[in-house]
Amino acid sequence: MKTIYLDNNATTQPDPEVVQAMLPYLSGEYFNPSSMYARAKGPARAIEQARQSIADCLGGIEPSEVLFTSGATESNNTAIFGAINANSSRRHIVTTAVEHPAVLETCREAERRGCELTVLPVDRDGMVDMDSYVRALREDTLLVSVIHANNETGVILPIDEMARIAKQTDEKIIFHTDATQSIGKLPVDLKRSENLDLLSFSGHKLHGPKGIGALFIRRGTRVRPYIVGGHQESGRRAGTENVAYIVGLAKACELALQHMREEQSLSVLRDRLQNAVAENVPAVEINGAGSPRLPNTLNVACHGVEGEAILYELDEYGICASSGSACTSGSLDSSHVLKAMGVPFTAVHGSVRFSMSRFNTEEEIERVAEVFPGIIARLRRMSPFWDDENDCVKMD
Amino acid sequence: MGWDYSEKTTQLFKDAVHGKAGTHMGEVEDADGLGEHGSIACGDALRFTFRVERNQEDPTKDVITEARYLTFGCTSAIAASEALCRMIEERHCTPIEALDISNQDIVDFLEGLPAAKIHCSVMGAEALEAAVFNWAQKRGVDLQKLGVELSQVGEDEGRIVCKCFSVTEPYLRRKIRELGLKTIPDITAAIKAGGACMSCHHAPGGLQDILDEELGRKPSTEESDTDQPKPTENEPVSAYRLGKQIDQAFEGYIRPMLQRDGGDIELVDIKNYKVFCRLQGACADCAGANMTLKMLVEQVLKERVDENLKVVAV
Repeated sequence: MKTIYLDNNATTQPDPEVVQAMLPYLSGEYFNPSSMYARAKGPARAIEQARQSIADCLGGIEPSEVLFTSGATESNNTAIFGAINANSSRRHIVTTAVEHPAVLETCREAERRGCELTVLPVDRDGMVDMDSYVRALREDTLLVSVIHANNETGVILPIDEMARIAKQTDEKIIFHTDATQSIGKLPVDLKRSENLDLLSFSGHKLHGPKGIGALFIRRGTRVRPYIVGGHQESGRRAGTENVAYIVGLAKACELALQHMREEQSLSVLRDRLQNAVAENVPAVEINGAGSPRLPNTLNVACHGVEGEAILYELDEYGICASSGSACTSGSLDSSHVLKAMGVPFTAVHGSVRFSMSRFNTEEEIERVAEVFPGIIARLRRMSPFWDDENDCVKMD
Repeated sequence: MGWDYSEKTTQLFKDAVHGKAGTHMGEVEDADGLGEHGSIACGDALRFTFRVERNQEDPTKDVITEARYLTFGCTSAIAASEALCRMIEERHCTPIEALDISNQDIVDFLEGLPAAKIHCSVMGAEALEAAVFNWAQKRGVDLQKLGVELSQVGEDEGRIVCKCFSVTEPYLRRKIRELGLKTIPDITAAIKAGGACMSCHHAPGGLQDILDEELGRKPSTEESDTDQPKPTENEPVSAYRLGKQIDQAFEGYIRPMLQRDGGDIELVDIKNYKVFCRLQGACADCAGANMTLKMLVEQVLKERVDENLKVVAV
């Protein structure tokens, strides 16, 4: 059976060109880029070329504004703790209820270490409440961290506008965005988005390798190193550079830019699947449909069924997707994002996320549209909360 | 996939979902016993029903002939429900004998469950117990007289320790004893308590305290309120916004209320969370005017605007 991979917000298939670009640095070009002999110049140069290339992809920023990390989680930790550690006179952080745990939990950890935290609510469409945001900013606000596009729903938050408001309120406020899901899917121009100070992303969400990411630090932004113990990355991130993966990340960014139009047109496939689900599955919520969304993401929540069971059934057809249900989260709690959006409790456990990539085909989407309604119907037949006659959840 | 299920678990799930012959999805009509456990908010729930062949002379000799379930839940919840029904039907046993089936028997039947999924088997055992209790009521069987200890209905009510999954203290204590739970992860795996926000883990009167008491590790601590202090609101309220909110409360609630009784109120000023105001009309001469101001106006302002507000009569 052919695999239909629709979990691209979790990770993506590395582009073969990326793998090719990495290979030399996993064999012959193994030298430590910090070494003095001539042979080590190759890897050293490869890193600087990669940095230049990524700077170009992000809108022609300075290469020195790009810091390589082990992934978006490290980038987020560096941004948040790095900013806190460099600005001791302020201690208030603002973030949103729909952040990835790499930001939300990191902010909570900062709170335990003495910072104060305001978590902004979102509405039913996953959009942040701007009034709450304006009210949240205060004299000692140090950092605002807002996700660019949410990983579960694909909802795109107005980071440029929020960054402008932060800067106009107090230019000392540092604005960070977790752009892990948007880099490669949306055009990002950091020259134009002049109010963004820090931006995180990783390689494996844009057909690059896992274990590599980057943090954009706008020149002049005060951030202390998070990982210390070496001079690499101009003293801002210690540890021997992961040369092959840095090269892979740059290649992935270049390819993403080339394929941007294809990524954008994924909304056609997404909307087709969305319409099929809305037409053929009763009692379903399309989460985030009222907001601007990533073109590749569809999050549906089916009343009265449980997400893990849906995923196992999809797996029978070779379809890979993910869910915000409690049983799939690692903890026993259901998705904090969907809960923050006020998705009804009868549906929050029945959520499924389909996330596409440029490697998906029309036939694949048709296949999902064909089998999904049957899966939901079967699981609902066995649910004590499903009223078959009226096609709705019943609560005694 | 994320969970390491046994072949048996996956197979039972598939068979059940696809309604293979010999599976037990459904509901017995006019059931002799009906038991439920779980809720849709918690992410899994089971509605378990059975039919008996009635023994005309002695209802305790009724034999279960058919068992069915409706389950909202994950793979293992569905497989555990299917397992429960199969085990009961295979045994040709009385409802009281069926109580011998423990959650561990369900786990064994499934050839093991991941630790975090043990609660699915507990759900099966709980629903079975509830159904037997229901049968006993219908058939006029006095279980207590027969020495059958059933803890269903009422007894598990009490202070809620885990708010996320609505787990009460009596239920928690009973399960710690019955299932031999020793740690917080044990509790979470078996009955989900503490599996979401985790704030009950080490709160006073929380999971650790109850565990310590049950395991005799500490002298009994006093009942204490597990309510966490409410997170303080960090948002600074600008003077303009505070004034506007107070004004809205006056126009929207307080004045209409007083006007109904022929009175009125004038907002004079707001300084540092003190709201200066003046009663007018019928209220101005009312003996209870001061009380009205304090009780009513202040209460409305505290509820609607900010709990730090104080009313000063002018």
